[in-house]
Amino acid sequence: MIPPRSFWIPLIALWIGLFVWGTEAWADTVYVQAKTAQLRAGKTSLDAVVGNVKFGDALEVVGRDGSWMEVKTSAGARGWIFANKTSTSKPSGGNDTLARLGQSMRGGDASATTASAGARGLDKASEGYANRAGVSARDREVVDRMTAYQIPDQDVEEFMREGGLGEYAK
Amino acid sequence: MASLMALSMTVAGCAEVQRAAEDVARQSGNPRLAGAIHGVGNVVGSLFPIGYEEESSIGQAIALQVVARYGGVVDQPELVRYVNLVGRAVANTSDRPDIPYRVAILDHESINAFAAPAGYIFVTRGLLRQIKNEAELAAVLGHEIAHVSEKHILDVIQRSKRLAGVTEAGLSYATSNPAAFKGVIDGAVKKLLDEGLDQEKETDADTVGEVFAARVGYDAEAYVGLLMRLRDLKGDDRALFKTHPNFSARIEAVQKTIRTKRLVSNGLVLQERFSRMTKRV
Repeated sequence: MIPPRSFWIPLIALWIGLFVWGTEAWADTVYVQAKTAQLRAGKTSLDAVVGNVKFGDALEVVGRDGSWMEVKTSAGARGWIFANKTSTSKPSGGNDTLARLGQSMRGGDASATTASAGARGLDKASEGYANRAGVSARDREVVDRMTAYQIPDQDVEEFMREGGLGEYAK
Repeated sequence: MASLMALSMTVAGCAEVQRAAEDVARQSGNPRLAGAIHGVGNVVGSLFPIGYEEESSIGQAIALQVVARYGGVVDQPELVRYVNLVGRAVANTSDRPDIPYRVAILDHESINAFAAPAGYIFVTRGLLRQIKNEAELAAVLGHEIAHVSEKHILDVIQRSKRLAGVTEAGLSYATSNPAAFKGVIDGAVKKLLDEGLDQEKETDADTVGEVFAARVGYDAEAYVGLLMRLRDLKGDDRALFKTHPNFSARIEAVQKTIRTKRLVSNGLVLQERFSRMTKRV
């Protein structure tokens, strides 16, 4: 015997409701919690890279599977990202608005570091400190080299791939 | 968020008004008034956190003292590169991956590790000799990266500044009052190298750093093993406890973190790679 229409209509309505709710439940936003990260065509590190995202980018979560998340960028690009490279809260980063305002109010000489930040050489402030504290030329050279020391991001990725770390887990 | 933006805009506007008022006072032949207006700006500015540019100056100055006090660094490019690669792997998914991190190996037999602001990290040769695998090294570096990401030393500096009634920091110190800047750096170095940070900050760095290392896939239990071996050190090696006391409480806190955060306790250890890369330590 086929159940009456009054049986099916609420059942279909419930099914549609659950489907819509389920879709909405996945529509979370996560933020990139790594310096850089790759979006891949599938949920393994062997899948092709289809896009790159950077620290702090907002991503809409489309789906999840184990350690991976399918996401959509604000530009509409879609791909899979290793979940440990995301965070549910927006990362503040190293130099937030309040810190910049504080420096502006204190009247700091930003030009003394802007040019040298991330570049080779001690900045004006630490050079002045080294003179006052009598730090030797050898020790200055060590910190100078340390400041300039860089390893390309792709070398770090290769190191992680070799060790099976992060998204390269076997 | 809206109120924060409104506050930001208001303060930004104040900074402009402050500068304009200073100029007017100076041009009208009243340098004392200009100085007073500048002082008010400093007082208000001192209430805000230190930005990365100022942090970088402070970090470099502290790094100079660490290198000087520990007699230089190990000059073995392969080894230095390996330690930096482990550090970068952990830092890249830390809570603050957007600043440069560099690790140097202090050429010293004592067992210790330090972090200065802006990502300057130091591990002694003595500590590297105690470490048995890459997961333990990752946890040590995770601990130091956590000191940087949580801005522990900057917090010490901000507090000491307030206690001393000082209103300037970072570059404004260095250019307008280099003697005061030196005082702040020397105070931070004393805290870092001689007295050690508060127990609360060490425990915080342990738990946060443990999460950073585990995010990359390193075995979360590895750090517990290292802390237990360090706790049982004898003789001169115990100098470590001057700056890093109460290992039993730290071990307990790390074990609790592993349980509550459900960190992977059968993750990667990578003993063979570590042994190969550190055989000349």
